[in-house]
Amino acid sequence: MNPAFFIAPLAISAVSAVLAALISLTDKIVNNYGEVTININGGKKKLQVNGGAPLLFSLAETGIYVPSACGGRGSCGACTVKVKTDIGPHLPTETPYLTKEQIADDVRLSCQIKVKQDLDIEIPESLFNIRKFTGVVERIADLTHDIKEVYIKLEDGQEANFVAGQYGQFEVPPYAKIRERTQRAYSMSSAPSDKGHLEFLVRLVPGGIVTTYVHEHMKEGEKVNVVAPVGEFHVQDNDSTMICVAGGSGMAPFKSIFNDMIETGKIEERDVWYFFGARTTKDLFYMDWLKELDAKYDRFHFIAALSEPQSDEPWDGETGLITDVLGKYLESVIDQEKTKEGYLCGSPGMLDACMAVMRKHDMKEENIYFDKFA
Amino acid sequence: MAPDIGYFSLFLASILTSNILLANFLGMCSFISISKDINSSNGLGMAVTLVLTITAGVNWAILQLLQSLGIVYLRFIVFIIVIAAVVQMLEMIIDRISPRLYMSLGIFLPLITVNCAILGVSLFMEIRNYSFLQSIVYGFGSGLGWWLAIMALAAIRKKTEKAPIPAGLQGAGITMITIGFMAMAFIGFSGMLQVQ
Amino acid sequence: MKMSPEYTKAQERMQPGVITSDGFLGDDTRPIVDIIAADEQTMTKLGLDFETMCSLMHRLVAEGRKGLGEPVTVQNSWVARVDEARGFLASPFDDGIFRKINVELELAPNGKPTGEKILYSELSLHLIEKHHFFQGKGSPFRLDPAQAKKVLRL
Repeated sequence: MNPAFFIAPLAISAVSAVLAALISLTDKIVNNYGEVTININGGKKKLQVNGGAPLLFSLAETGIYVPSACGGRGSCGACTVKVKTDIGPHLPTETPYLTKEQIADDVRLSCQIKVKQDLDIEIPESLFNIRKFTGVVERIADLTHDIKEVYIKLEDGQEANFVAGQYGQFEVPPYAKIRERTQRAYSMSSAPSDKGHLEFLVRLVPGGIVTTYVHEHMKEGEKVNVVAPVGEFHVQDNDSTMICVAGGSGMAPFKSIFNDMIETGKIEERDVWYFFGARTTKDLFYMDWLKELDAKYDRFHFIAALSEPQSDEPWDGETGLITDVLGKYLESVIDQEKTKEGYLCGSPGMLDACMAVMRKHDMKEENIYFDKFA
Repeated sequence: MAPDIGYFSLFLASILTSNILLANFLGMCSFISISKDINSSNGLGMAVTLVLTITAGVNWAILQLLQSLGIVYLRFIVFIIVIAAVVQMLEMIIDRISPRLYMSLGIFLPLITVNCAILGVSLFMEIRNYSFLQSIVYGFGSGLGWWLAIMALAAIRKKTEKAPIPAGLQGAGITMITIGFMAMAFIGFSGMLQVQ
Repeated sequence: MKMSPEYTKAQERMQPGVITSDGFLGDDTRPIVDIIAADEQTMTKLGLDFETMCSLMHRLVAEGRKGLGEPVTVQNSWVARVDEARGFLASPFDDGIFRKINVELELAPNGKPTGEKILYSELSLHLIEKHHFFQGKGSPFRLDPAQAKKVLRL
């Protein structure tokens, strides 16, 4: 047989092989960043990581969980970190999520930037406490037709230390057409003293990935992961009047906060007004408990408002949008003289509407607290 | 035998009289689409110049190998493989050495793999029997010529943005006409030098 | 019909896990130009036009947001529930980013829920309005034109 038949394929294979070898060699040399040091908050913590991965994941590997509502997909804009080392201009994948001030201040999206050199970064110190918990679903209960209470028992040896009002990243496994683990943020509704458990209230969002899983697939006894505690939302330590407003599953942080206040006795020392908005009586829950608190503690006041009470249901409480009811009470019921603080939990639209009402009634914006996630 | 052309005249010729874009009309797709934006044009021009210079040299060496084995007919495939590999490696190296340059080149670097000007230069080098040094000079010159042409077109397009162009001619239409005029203008250089 | 490079790229970005975990195509294996063409035909057959339909849907989002997260009765004909989540989603056609606002709209003439519902988001509405893309069959945010006609009472 003519040797020419072999020369051509052999030559091409040889050339390709040499080039492939060269590429992987270059990759080994060039993309090997070796051990890189991440210096956090001016030396408070120093981490040794292997370079090359996105900052968010490098930090997560060493146990520092920067909050991210989308799990590193670059779609929520939550995982901001201040990077003091010069690592080049902001990427086109970052700029849509950052304000001009943040960009000028070297704030970056940690899921988008890769660790390629020693870095100096700044993050809130509270992030040092965040860790990944593993637990088992001990109980799932229906609170309303679309809200479930999920009570998780942490596996042995784990202890959750959080401040009432903080939230956790709840992780669900791949299911149906969804091929990857998905994380979403929910406020803890359990009291901080219950260190062996974490509880969440999850409202079904049509089309929502995690909420659909919790409502249709999650079973008691199942293992779950929670990254917690996250967030700055907590009760300020002073004696001004607390004006709390929530709707739907926004009840969660307040359940935690009120239970904590009962345990510490604070509930007898401060004026608390809790406004809870729902559409119909079908959407109300924990009513007996809250009415009991209202009756038992002089300074605790609970006001539920229905926006569209149905004619066939008995309802003797307030009616109207929660913002209107809030306005009415701020106007004529709540003591005008005392300083007031606002505590809000709900959708961005609900937060904006409540802020507007509170500002109108001379409450200062810096005294209104909330976590802007839903 | 390598043709008897001085390096300097070959260099000038490849930029002006035998401009790879305007005389041979190679690399048109990215030329037309990227010239919308002057900054991107600059980045792409830089990347093309770099890749052209390197691939001209590497492909010259590969060609010697193919000739000695008597399988020159495989050059198209092999050249493309080499170009793709070189671009890949360059991408990694630039990313490491200068993230800023890497950022400004962005997507253009990998796009160059399919730029016909690159393959064109390698093939001309073979047809014209250039020596190793001539190949590199020719590659570098052609790159600069491509860079020059796209910057010129980008500048003209910036001007024509505000010009009263009939609706039917806007966009690609007026760009093609502009390129035609530019090509004619470059023919003016052809009396100065001639390379084959 | 032939897929232009823009459509090919958009279809890639519609796969599960690229922009949303669900993706935009469901179990549909057709090229998106065919999905679009088929739905455009259905729209004509049903006597619907995109402009009227989308402007009504936009109005209903605005009305639904007034419920502050709770469902709200709109014009005595619908119950609209608007959910807002933090963050944005990019359009697979690379023409903008959209707030994560979902609307579940149920037909309820005179306050009586009928169980006839449609679900859409700011992004899915944009895809319908600008690209006539209703999403693939089996996608959670697929809007069936016939169902839309029924629920929106067009």
